[in-house]
Amino acid sequence: MPKFAHISDCHLGAHRDPILQKLELEAFDKALTKCIEEEVDFIIISGDLFHSNIPDMGVVNLAVKKMREVRDKGIPIYVIYGSHDYSPNKTSIVDILDSAGLFNKIVKGKVENGKLKLEFTQDPKTNAKLVGISARKIGIEEKYFEILDRTSLEKEEGFKIFVFHSALTEFKPDFLARMASIPISYLPKGFDYYAGGHIHKRIEESLPGYGRIVYPGPLFAGYPRDLEQSARGEKRGFYIVSFNEKVEKVEFIEIKICDYLFFDYDASNKNSSLVQRELIQKIKDLDVKDKIVLLRVKGELSGGKTSDINFSQIRKILMEKGALHININRFGLTSREYTSLKVMGEDIHEIESKLLKESIGTVKVSIDSLKGEKGAHLAFELLNALRQEQKPNESKKDYEERVLTQAIEVLKLTEVFE
Amino acid sequence: MEEIEVVGQVVGGKVASILVREKSGKKLELGDLLVTEEDGVLHILQVYDLKYGSQVPQSVRELLAGLKLEGYGAGLTFLEPKLRNYVIAEVKAIARVEGKNITIPKTLPSFFSSIRRIRKEDLAFLTKPKHPIYLGKVRSGSKILDVDVYVDGLEVLKHHIVIPATTGRGKSNLVKVMLWSILGQKNFGILVLDPHDEYYGRHGKGLKDHPKAKDNLLYYSSTPPAGANTLVINLRSIAPWHFQGIVAFTDAQQDAIRLYYNNFGEDWIENIIRGTEVQGVAPRTLAVLQRKFDTILGVYLDDSGNLQCRNRVFSDTAGMTTTRDIVNALEDGKTVIIDTSRLLDEAELLIGSIIVSEIFYRYQRYKSTGELDSKPVIGVVIEEAPRVLGQEVLASGDNIYSTVAREGRKFKVGLIAITQLTSIIPRTILANMNTKIILGNELATERHAIINSAAQDLSQDDRTIASLDKGEAIVSSNFTKFAVPIKIPLFKDYIETNSTEEEEKTVFVG
Repeated sequence: MPKFAHISDCHLGAHRDPILQKLELEAFDKALTKCIEEEVDFIIISGDLFHSNIPDMGVVNLAVKKMREVRDKGIPIYVIYGSHDYSPNKTSIVDILDSAGLFNKIVKGKVENGKLKLEFTQDPKTNAKLVGISARKIGIEEKYFEILDRTSLEKEEGFKIFVFHSALTEFKPDFLARMASIPISYLPKGFDYYAGGHIHKRIEESLPGYGRIVYPGPLFAGYPRDLEQSARGEKRGFYIVSFNEKVEKVEFIEIKICDYLFFDYDASNKNSSLVQRELIQKIKDLDVKDKIVLLRVKGELSGGKTSDINFSQIRKILMEKGALHININRFGLTSREYTSLKVMGEDIHEIESKLLKESIGTVKVSIDSLKGEKGAHLAFELLNALRQEQKPNESKKDYEERVLTQAIEVLKLTEVFE
Repeated sequence: MEEIEVVGQVVGGKVASILVREKSGKKLELGDLLVTEEDGVLHILQVYDLKYGSQVPQSVRELLAGLKLEGYGAGLTFLEPKLRNYVIAEVKAIARVEGKNITIPKTLPSFFSSIRRIRKEDLAFLTKPKHPIYLGKVRSGSKILDVDVYVDGLEVLKHHIVIPATTGRGKSNLVKVMLWSILGQKNFGILVLDPHDEYYGRHGKGLKDHPKAKDNLLYYSSTPPAGANTLVINLRSIAPWHFQGIVAFTDAQQDAIRLYYNNFGEDWIENIIRGTEVQGVAPRTLAVLQRKFDTILGVYLDDSGNLQCRNRVFSDTAGMTTTRDIVNALEDGKTVIIDTSRLLDEAELLIGSIIVSEIFYRYQRYKSTGELDSKPVIGVVIEEAPRVLGQEVLASGDNIYSTVAREGRKFKVGLIAITQLTSIIPRTILANMNTKIILGNELATERHAIINSAAQDLSQDDRTIASLDKGEAIVSSNFTKFAVPIKIPLFKDYIETNSTEEEEKTVFVG
């Protein structure tokens, strides 16, 4: 029986920490090795293979080696852009590797009479037909879905797979409630399998009119929150789907590369020195050897500043006890001595996004697109474009040009600067 | 000097019943707006009854009719008939206008003063409020004046609106017009529970065609068209209090629900369906609850022991954020339509209860944290309101809708209650609904209930309300100086002329 693998959100190059970088590549390697062992007929990667459009070349090198091994075994890989590896100026590594024939980017189509007409890519061995829509940087390319010619896609005969990298409103997990999403009604009906990406949680669903809707979640972790979720028991991996004319079996393949330990500490109504003492005492009793340790400290201190707590010392103790990696989340920690902090969130992106939304009202602007949520969203995108780091071996001039070009594109001023 | 076209003259009466002799051929109508003008002061009058007047004794008139009918003299007529036979209009003074000052009249217009029809300029004091809800144009009898009628949405919404009328009088057309004018105004979040799927415009024109719909309108349906959201509510979003006043449970069942909720938190329904044993809950009670939830929510266990949701509107896996998405959208000043046309009454009201509870309690929190002022007013459109606001329903206790009706204005949450049966809504609730948009109603008991709870004295308008044609209405509100007769445009005509930004026009202020 033919079968394919569905992988998503590998986020290769997401981590600067060498240990995490090694683990993310290990997860990728392990997943592709499993695909070879299972003799899948093809692999779908539904976006965010890489964490950025131009990732660290060392990471790319290792990933390419593994993908070439897969390709040499006669297993084609079909990909789409994710929200991270999408490039508005068409210099994504995804395009380069597509051109090099390492994999096949399946988003093909054109706009005719205001309708987006997509072309199917047919897998030569199984005759499965794939079609997809990529994501864009930050959020959803809802416009594509709006103008998508669904009828022609729905009429196509055969075993069909729709690949996308968007959160579906109906299946958003609770912790991603504020994430931009599209309703499932935008997807063409009648496909046998909907290969989703972008939501960092494993989801298997179905709704009337639609076949299996599956999000594998990240293979390892794109964000600290993913590590936290893994530490709380969320399994990471990918899917192998067996099919004939219809989907016969959908099997989750767990990729476990390390152990985790999640430790939640509530600092409410304690002063900073008590928190310091208690934390040190508590972590001394933890078995952290060869584990990724996620320490979350939250609550409002009754006295002292958050900076009074020596987290470096806590980190050092954990390292000495053999922890593989330590992530301390203290975004939810506040102090009564500080009243200016108005927003809370689980990661930097969420906090930034909330802060921008909170603050946008205080900026007086006359253009509608700079006001309200639109304005906050634009500011967030601009911030992301401007804070990109220089890549290894990238000249200062190229770096500046890259950042500038992306910032101009975010501001939709390309024509002005041409 | 402009010549006044006199249509009648004051000939007698008293404050609430001024008698006007109609000038022959002027054909005054029930509901006509008339004006007397003296020393720069206008009295706006309204006709509420018409009767014949004659200088000829009744017996003579009857004799003359007999002579004509029986063929004794086809050419017989009265001497100076226009002078001797006429129409007397009973009118009431509804407003006194002195410059920009509008007051309730406390004096009578001068005896024998001339009466003319109202003109657009007489209503120049009506201006468009800052946060307008459009209702229609001023109507004088069956004639329409080119004067737009708006009410100030911020005020009227939080003080609730009731729209009483019998079937076919244009209730939903009115609500569509109102919602169209609100859409895109960020000061309003509107939740529409739509049991007839008639507001979005799935098969024709509707709110989806509004130029600002893309960013400001959300549509949830169990069968959504492309771009709309699937109505799917996660079972974990449902709390025991959401059923209060919606579904009747016995004391034993309520106790059981409380125990399951205490034991399993948000997984309480799942555990009831799965039949998890809880100390203190009799198996029979559990079985009844399982049957009830099967009926209301469509949830049951299949042969393999998996939880299934029959109608797909409730789910144990999907729809985790639906309630929050909807409430966030309302808080962002958007309009959210929930198509409940494929649901049973109880399921529809339950979904409304979940959402309204969430927004109401969230707004309560905002009030306590001082954030409420910056939030939009929330309006909840509820059809067939007696289902949740009826005396019989409320006899077993309050529900979230009645709580909103009583307390919502403190928290900027209001109802737009649509009903055919005003009489079964308790007076205490009706008294809290400060704006009534009264459409035609042939049922005397309903008219009396409406009149008795109106913001203005409509005691003489019984006949006028009975005679309202489709699309004609009277707006009675604490925020209007008088009960304003209006003609509501047909929605399809209205949107043709209002698909772009509206021009400033002379309008009614609320």
